Amino acid sequence: MLGEFEYLLISASARLGDDAYGAAIRQEIERASGQRCSVGALYTTLDRLEAKGLIATWMGEATPQRGGRSKRMVRVTAKGTREAAAFYRAVTRASRGVSWKTKPREDRP
Amino acid sequence: MTTFTRALVGHVCRLLEPDEREAVEGDIAELRMPGAEALREVLGLAVRRQAALWTEWGPWLALVGVVIPLGALLGQLSWPWADESAIYTFLYVNNWTWAYVESPGARRDLLDVGTRVCLNDLALIGWSWTTGFALGSLSRRTLWVTATLFCLVVLVVFGLSSGTTARANPFNAAVFSLPFYRIVYPWLVLTGLVLLPGVWGMRRSRRSALLPLIPTLVGFAIVALLTVSAARTLELFAIGHWHLTRLDPSPDGFIEHGGWFRPLRLLPLLPLWPVAFIVASACWRRLRGQPASA
Repeated sequence: MLGEFEYLLISASARLGDDAYGAAIRQEIERASGQRCSVGALYTTLDRLEAKGLIATWMGEATPQRGGRSKRMVRVTAKGTREAAAFYRAVTRASRGVSWKTKPREDRP
Repeated sequence: MTTFTRALVGHVCRLLEPDEREAVEGDIAELRMPGAEALREVLGLAVRRQAALWTEWGPWLALVGVVIPLGALLGQLSWPWADESAIYTFLYVNNWTWAYVESPGARRDLLDVGTRVCLNDLALIGWSWTTGFALGSLSRRTLWVTATLFCLVVLVVFGLSSGTTARANPFNAAVFSLPFYRIVYPWLVLTGLVLLPGVWGMRRSRRSALLPLIPTLVGFAIVALLTVSAARTLELFAIGHWHLTRLDPSPDGFIEHGGWFRPLRLLPLLPLWPVAFIVASACWRRLRGQPASA
């Protein structure tokens, strides 16, 4: 089963499609989760997912806005898609019948 | 990003694999990260990567087998090594007279001393180079960390071993009253005979972790011979002269030297182990039929 951050990363990569690479994925994760995504977490998770066969990565083209440096491109594999779908189903099932609305009165002592 | 932080980020990025360095530096440029944030991000990644590498045995073997014992030994030897050659340099350079060459006895002494100091210095260079090479071979991807630790161990032990018996001897007061021999010379020896050859060995190992068999065997033979020639000096300097002379009371009650004993007679094997490791690696590679670069 995927971890939460792994799921966020695979989802961001799937959403970006052919434009999925390090910096773009990082921005997409931050936008979706509303939390900071560190470069360390991003690249170590990319390696882990690639080792599990859930994504494939390769060095892409260099662009002037990157100072002539290449991108690490990412593509979600079929196995990655299956794992992400399984995670989503599990979270959906687990959330069924649960409301996360906070009740302000109950929070007060 | 200032030039300084850019340089710092660049240095930290050198801890990463080339492809990853390229991608991360590109991301930093594309996202226009401020210097402090870029440095924090790259440091975070480098620390994670280094921590992952330390789950393998190579860096630990390098730390326990090379950095600590050989760093301490080379640091311990440097100062007395420098002080001994400082005395002879002072004698023959600061007090030069042609009588050293004209008199047959003095000429023989000059040759003896010159040969011994040169061989000892070559031995120190050989140990440092092979130590650096073995360190680079064992911890290729963690070399920045192990090399820094090695230099730290050498410097700390060097700093702690400044009170040599040569300096305590009042007959050498004239030598060590000169700031050059007291302060500068030991640092020259440490830098020129230990640190620079060590770094040279590390750099050589980064080009190729294995050397061709025949030159390696020749190098092993040379370092082994130098070690045999410098073995007594190594033992003396490692423990301090006075501990190596057994003091026995003579019949008239005065203390006299009762002869040499050698509690550290196996110590010369320690600086030889990196050479043995290099030879074993070269032989292993040859047996497996893998080529080694020159």
